[in-house]
Amino acid sequence: MKRIFIDPKKCDGCKNCSLACMESHRKDGQTGIYTLQLQDPENQSRNRILSDGKGGYLPIFCRHCDIPDCAGACMSGALQKNMENGLVEYNADSCAACYMCVMSCRYGVPAISPDRRRMIKCDFCTHLPEGPACVRACPKKAIEVREV
Amino acid sequence: MPIFAGSLLSLFQAARFTKKTGKEELSMMNCTDCLSRNTCPSADKPMEEYIRRLPLETAHHRVQGQSTKCGFGLQGVCCRLCANGPCRVTPEAPRGICGANADTIVARNFLRAVAAGSGCYIHVVENTARQLKNTGLHRDKIRSEKALQRLGELFGIDEADKYALCVRVADAVLSDLYRPEYEPMELVRKLAYPPRLERWEKLGILPGGAKGEVFQNIVKTSTNLSSDPVEMLLSCLRLGISTGIYGLQLTNLLNDVVLGDPEIRPAPVGMNVIDPDYINILITGHQHSLFTYIQDRLLEEDVLEKAKAAGAKGFKLVGCTCVGQDLQLRGAHYTEIFDGHAGNNYISEAVLSCGAIDAVLSEFNCTLPGIEPICEQLKIKQICLDVVAKKANAEYIPFQYETRREDGDRIIDEIIAAYRERRGSMPMNLFSEHGNKNTLTGVSEGSLKAFLGGSWKPLIDLIVSGKVKGLAGVVGCSSVAYGHDTLTAALTRELISRDILVLTAGCSSGGLENIGMMTPEAAELAGPNLRAVCKQLGIPPVLNFGPCLAIGRLEMVATEIAAELHVDLPQLPLVFSAAQWLEEQALADGAFALALGLPLHLGVPPFMTGSSLATKILTEDMLELTGGQVIIDPDGKSAADRLEAIIEEKRRALHI
Amino acid sequence: MKRFVIIGAGAAGITAAKTLRDFCPEDIITVISTDEKVHSRCMLHKYLGHERDAEGINFVPPDFFEKNDITHLCCEEVQRIDTEKKTVYYGEDYFAPYDRLLIATGSAFFIPPIPHFREAPNVFGFRDLSDALKIDAAFAAGRRVFIVGSGLVGLDAASALCRRGAEVTIAEMAPRVMPLQTDEFAAGVYQKAFEEHGCRFLLATGASDAVVDEKGNIIEVILSSGERVACDFVIMAAGVRPRTQIALESGIAAERAIAVDDHLRTSVPDIYAAGDCTGLSGVWPDAMAQGKAAAENMAGIDTVYEKPYPFKNTCNFFGITMLSVGRLDDTEGAKILIHKTEKEYKKAILKEGKLTGFLSLGDISNSGLYLHLIKNGIDIREKQDKLFRLSFADFYGINEKNGEYVYTV
Repeated sequence: MKRIFIDPKKCDGCKNCSLACMESHRKDGQTGIYTLQLQDPENQSRNRILSDGKGGYLPIFCRHCDIPDCAGACMSGALQKNMENGLVEYNADSCAACYMCVMSCRYGVPAISPDRRRMIKCDFCTHLPEGPACVRACPKKAIEVREV
Repeated sequence: MPIFAGSLLSLFQAARFTKKTGKEELSMMNCTDCLSRNTCPSADKPMEEYIRRLPLETAHHRVQGQSTKCGFGLQGVCCRLCANGPCRVTPEAPRGICGANADTIVARNFLRAVAAGSGCYIHVVENTARQLKNTGLHRDKIRSEKALQRLGELFGIDEADKYALCVRVADAVLSDLYRPEYEPMELVRKLAYPPRLERWEKLGILPGGAKGEVFQNIVKTSTNLSSDPVEMLLSCLRLGISTGIYGLQLTNLLNDVVLGDPEIRPAPVGMNVIDPDYINILITGHQHSLFTYIQDRLLEEDVLEKAKAAGAKGFKLVGCTCVGQDLQLRGAHYTEIFDGHAGNNYISEAVLSCGAIDAVLSEFNCTLPGIEPICEQLKIKQICLDVVAKKANAEYIPFQYETRREDGDRIIDEIIAAYRERRGSMPMNLFSEHGNKNTLTGVSEGSLKAFLGGSWKPLIDLIVSGKVKGLAGVVGCSSVAYGHDTLTAALTRELISRDILVLTAGCSSGGLENIGMMTPEAAELAGPNLRAVCKQLGIPPVLNFGPCLAIGRLEMVATEIAAELHVDLPQLPLVFSAAQWLEEQALADGAFALALGLPLHLGVPPFMTGSSLATKILTEDMLELTGGQVIIDPDGKSAADRLEAIIEEKRRALHI
Repeated sequence: MKRFVIIGAGAAGITAAKTLRDFCPEDIITVISTDEKVHSRCMLHKYLGHERDAEGINFVPPDFFEKNDITHLCCEEVQRIDTEKKTVYYGEDYFAPYDRLLIATGSAFFIPPIPHFREAPNVFGFRDLSDALKIDAAFAAGRRVFIVGSGLVGLDAASALCRRGAEVTIAEMAPRVMPLQTDEFAAGVYQKAFEEHGCRFLLATGASDAVVDEKGNIIEVILSSGERVACDFVIMAAGVRPRTQIALESGIAAERAIAVDDHLRTSVPDIYAAGDCTGLSGVWPDAMAQGKAAAENMAGIDTVYEKPYPFKNTCNFFGITMLSVGRLDDTEGAKILIHKTEKEYKKAILKEGKLTGFLSLGDISNSGLYLHLIKNGIDIREKQDKLFRLSFADFYGINEKNGEYVYTV
């Protein structure tokens, strides 16, 4: 499987990864940074860049864990570990919005949707042939896709 | 010099021993391709190839490394006004720490940029007026008494003595510039088109003293001061008016007196203008009047003797950036000293790389920091005449009227010394086939009217008949981040193919002339009606007004046509595009276009889209306020579609 | 080739079946369940509220059994287990021999000994799809519902029925709703929301008697306060008991729940138990984890099941979301910290530098680390000042080998 490896030492906190994520998952049918609504909670990023409090940055990206606690807590079957590609996949149609996944992820990755009817998590940009948008957007190459 | 890694240096050194043009020789070397594969595209394909093969780094090379843009910056919602910042607007954090929302942050950043841009042009007009005043005080050379008379009439100054008139005209301008912000400038009432003046008064945007306005608005946009986005956007218009009338229009008119009226004529453009047999001085900036003394002095016999003693035929000024455009515009007066215009702001690094430039004289933007390592490497003497454009490794010899003779001679000696030191030891990489020899230049509100027989009627008739569908001012800068002049060229091609006559001013001129759009042959690219007009008159479909300052001239043309038709400016089938606007000055120019009520196309948004309010005001509500409108479109064809639609709509409204 | 039999098709049973299949591609796996269809108990309210049909609350793909080559014997009651012959008897004397057996019978709702309640035909639980079907039928005849208990199950049923315009009355012995998960403030928020949707709460009181009609149906509930509430039917949501009957009858050690060791083995060799019936925990993630651990052991992979931390839950009623972890009531000698804004409410219980309880109401995104801190007893004394702003950034670590995160404490 593939995983986005993180080198926090290289991260400058520019949040380009977050914007790329927002752009990749926007649902208004438009493209391009200039029309991306930065205040719309619907557009929230699936990754987060947090401060380490010492001038450095700590990227929080879904690990698509080998043993995913989120999928292990899912009572609707919406979250599943796909053994073929290694991804923890999410099916919003099945989701009951119970948020046991939010409770169960010790890394704080899953977020709840503004309408409280879905969860929001990295999907590895499987809709993009070139792979995760965040990785391509990182000017410092602090994140990269590697085979594990 | 970290950018000149060992391998690059040795390659460059190797190139200098070739006798043919450097371009051919370099292309024979195996590893040249790997040196600079990643340059940005240019509308000027031969230039793109030349730059791609340069063993030096230029802005075109650096585009790649800067290709990841900060999205918050692009949308204008990164605020660095206080130590709590930078704050960025996200869905999780829609307000900065101070509480400023996206609208405030965007409007504040935008107004700051417009204020800075206005300050730039006001600086230029201030120096220009001082130069005119000194010309009068010292009974120095006046190249156009006609231009002086015109100013006297415009200002309502009755003065028989031409030198005294210079002083009085200059003082009228300077006293307006130096007024406090709370005192309205007087010349605005004399120079503004009456219907516009009325609208501006109604909106309460008549500017006070131009420098005071800049000051006031810098204060307004400081930390935790104004957070009213609407008021701040209106302030942009106020700054636009002072910038446009003083920084643009008056700078031109004042310069006409001292430097001579533009005259229409064909001229060479591009890197072919560089003659390696001369001591070549590249000029960069916007303040042509600071060169008045030296450009004459360089032709005097004793100085020429020095040049010859050094082994050169004499001196040549090579034009680059807007000051080159201005020199080209008035080139009829400077045929001996001025070689021609080599290219716009983003060609300057390439021009310096050709090896035949011995010095750079700069007095304003767009003097790119990127020229510094190139000058250092190629031992090109850098001299700065105005501290606002001080380069790190330039010698600063401020232009002062009183000491201009001593300073001028010192500058000349330094340049000759540089010539002696570098020639023979520095590689030549000429590009003598670049550009063309018959670009139509020298177009101004005066020369164009004269060309038309002393009246705007012939042009108006062409517009009414539809042979010229409308006018488009394709103005402003050149940028490289999304391609060098690519959008400017694409848009211009589209516009002329739709029978829209294009008028240019600024680095857009430099880009378009180098690709031949201002040669009479370019008529072939125009739509059938415009093509016929061009062929009949022997003109290109793109008219070259020269520097960005001449945006003021375009606006004078528009105003005179409007006056003749008894309509207000927004009613004219006229659009503006600063397709590749680059800098803060361009935003101040743009604010003037909006104040004039003109549609203004921009290729990329001015860091505003993060605020839906600011975006709406600039792109929609402005129509109600002034009649102007910002149109954002990064694509030449669709932008032309939109601009053509506006022109057609305005034609319909005028029943033509 | 081994034969695995699993009794129960809930979270534990299904997870076990899937895990067994992953590890034992060749072996025979049989799931016996009383349920006709696999469904998530935690989504029953979606069915009852007519938001989804039965397939919509299935937590596995429709082709789960087919695709995994698992035999599902549905609508079958297990009669007995012959632990000597290693055979499960079900239905009318059908039998299924096993090499390894998993009991994952879950739990059943509990009816306290109140007169008439245990006998009345219109008293329903809310555990299985069959319960929901019965309620649905009863609801067609009368819209006045009396719910005993305002825990998550009671409120699930209430929210579903409110959606459909029922007249709901809920009696709660404790002085607030969801007493196990809430504090007074959070309870008040939910109570208000439910009341706005047509629910009526009777707090700190319980049903003590009932009036029945000629068929024995409860038509009026009499409360300990003396108040009387007329109703068309009753839903019991006053707690559950592990389903142990089959184990007990088969000689498998069980008291309140089926006894298991740390490998989820029961007292009888080759018989395992997982899920609610073990009494270890009553929440979905733990049932899944037990199903997985038991299955691994059944497949011969030695897996120690660590005792779960059962005091955790989330809920989402009318879009009001809450995360509740730990013992919020256990405040003796504790430091209580509260963070309250217009949009969120957070409460932390600290004992000797460690979190013992955490409540978050509002946007509970990215708050999973609080469960981790409580469960693992991580000392956060030094991070106390930013207690409500903690994130994984405060414990950041990366396993360089596989790129996963690890906690650095």
